[in-house]
Amino acid sequence: MNPWELIILQPVINVLIVLTHYLFDNFGLAIIALTIIVRVITLPLTLKQLRATKAMQTLQPKIAELQQKYAKDRQRLAQEQMRLYKESGVSATGCLVPMLVQMPIWIALFQSILLSLAVAPESLLNLSRYLYSWPIVYSMLPLSSNFLGLNLAEGNFVLAILVGGTMWLQQKMVTPVTTDARQQAQSRMMLWMMPLMFGFFCLTFPSGLALYWLVSNIISIVIQYYVTGWGALAPSVAKQPAGKDKKYLRRITQVEQASSEAPVEADIVVPSSEAGDYGRSGDKSQERRGGYPPSLGAIRRRPGRGGSHRPKRR
Amino acid sequence: MWFRHNKVLLIKTLLLVVMLLMVMSGLTGLGCIRGLQPIGWSGGIVADGTLFVGSAEGKLVAINIADGSRQWSEPLKLPKSTGGFGCAAPSAGGGCAQAPAGVAIYGTPAVSDCLVYLGGYNGKIYAFNSSSLETRWIYPREESLEPIVSGPAVAQGMVYIASSDGKLYALDAETGDKEWEFQTGDKIWSTPVIDGDVLFIGSFDNKLYALSITDGSKKWEFETEGAIAATPLAYDNKVYIGSFDRYLYALDATDGSLRWKFMGGNWFWAKPLVYDDVIYAGCLDGKVYALNARSGDKIAEFDLGSPISSSPVVVNGSVIFASRQGVIYALDTNNSELRQLVDIEKEVYGPLSASEGIVYIHTQDLKLHLVDVNTGTKLKTISLKSSE
Repeated sequence: MNPWELIILQPVINVLIVLTHYLFDNFGLAIIALTIIVRVITLPLTLKQLRATKAMQTLQPKIAELQQKYAKDRQRLAQEQMRLYKESGVSATGCLVPMLVQMPIWIALFQSILLSLAVAPESLLNLSRYLYSWPIVYSMLPLSSNFLGLNLAEGNFVLAILVGGTMWLQQKMVTPVTTDARQQAQSRMMLWMMPLMFGFFCLTFPSGLALYWLVSNIISIVIQYYVTGWGALAPSVAKQPAGKDKKYLRRITQVEQASSEAPVEADIVVPSSEAGDYGRSGDKSQERRGGYPPSLGAIRRRPGRGGSHRPKRR
Repeated sequence: MWFRHNKVLLIKTLLLVVMLLMVMSGLTGLGCIRGLQPIGWSGGIVADGTLFVGSAEGKLVAINIADGSRQWSEPLKLPKSTGGFGCAAPSAGGGCAQAPAGVAIYGTPAVSDCLVYLGGYNGKIYAFNSSSLETRWIYPREESLEPIVSGPAVAQGMVYIASSDGKLYALDAETGDKEWEFQTGDKIWSTPVIDGDVLFIGSFDNKLYALSITDGSKKWEFETEGAIAATPLAYDNKVYIGSFDRYLYALDATDGSLRWKFMGGNWFWAKPLVYDDVIYAGCLDGKVYALNARSGDKIAEFDLGSPISSSPVVVNGSVIFASRQGVIYALDTNNSELRQLVDIEKEVYGPLSASEGIVYIHTQDLKLHLVDVNTGTKLKTISLKSSE
């Protein structure tokens, strides 16, 4: 057994089997329970990732501005972006690291469900090598794949629709409101591509996996609501930033204030009174300013530089 | 025009699709390699100088053991749906990159009166003419049963075979007409064993059943603590059966009462073998246990290093075992000495077969390996692919 199987896969499989035993010999309930347990354990990481993503989205208008400004100077653009991230306390890796940490857990859960379902004789035979020497575990197998009239070992159309639907909802909640045509197209693509693909996967893979995705999506929606509110689902109902979100927003505000106080170095001037409005992605007044936060609606360019894309020389 | 304007978007979409497909295939790659796909592990049976074996292409293969010439039947037919990626609800096999696209065959064929009987994972039972390999009959003619992992047993003009629908079917060996059926509480993967006028079969409902072969009436049943996938062994008025509760049971064949039981380190999957009043039972813990057939006392144990799911054979007083990793061992029954014959370096799941001092090993890569027990050498490898 390789380290991955020994440290990750084997414990998850055995926990799934034991959960099945204690949840009325119902493998469907065991999948739901384990998904909830794993989501609760990884909740701090998920929250960290969501908050970092949200803060990153808040910075997007400024980044777009920088991209426009330094379109012909990649090096300078990178420098300015890094400076912006650093000063606003937003880490580009803040979104990725928690996600990367969670990936092995998801993959293990995914593989464990597939293995535990033992859809073919070979898989049941192979499953034996992952079992701990607990009497419960040995006697429980093979697990029954029936759950609420569904065969968890077969693809299921209803679950595929539910997974696709919940994924669309979740995707819609995280989609930033923008008037930029390119970004809109990208968002639209993501909004439909993921649900369609996962819906297709649900039809072709054992529906035990679809059940896992469905529960996971529902939990994601709940967490997402807690962090960002309904997002693009209900733009008029903006959620007030939670305590930890304020940390990022405060830093961003400070950066903007610093920018306004140092007009020679900074090209973007942000009225400090409006800086607190970042994060309200559904603000209608923001939409009137072209999708940018109020602070960016008041961008003032220094004389002689407006419209110029020449790289700035220091 | 549209492409020019949305080139970046199109490329990103394609990248996302490719990435997702890679992730999904990476995740399920594990399954395809490790057994999400039914491939089959049919053993071989030798009759009149011909070895019959079911191949992973879903064909019955007849091999002339004198010259190695091969003959294939028509492939068993796939049922209507097999799933998009082939990893969901595998109803017959195939579809996976590593799996040949054919109906998986798990049971070892049975030969009787010029007919070869076989069950397919497509839920059909077949009778082939042993010389021409033409299909004589198929049961059921329309529709399909649940996937068949069990092998057939033939006695008194009847074929007995079980299905994953939990039923044991008794069919007329000549016509394929159903004579009777017996319903158990769960799937049956075990192959029936006939001793006189009694048939023994294990089920996933944890029970071993003793049935009358004439009308399918139940004589007795014995319940273990785990599912039974193994094929029973009938010997000296006793029935030996391995269970998923890690015990090997010895039962009285007359009334099903427990004589003794022995605990291994994992499931007993392979059919045990008896020789000189000693039971040789391969276990998925990688060990072979030699037990006194009368008392169940352990005489010796031998560690083969990897799980043992293939049933052993006896050749010239030696019991031949294959480990999952493909190492072939000979256990001398006189001095209990274990020696390695050959390492064929391919996974072995199915039962071994033997004839005239040669062991035939069907590996998962559509090959049949011939090993001479006396010299301990691999004689040759025969491909079961119809295209080679």
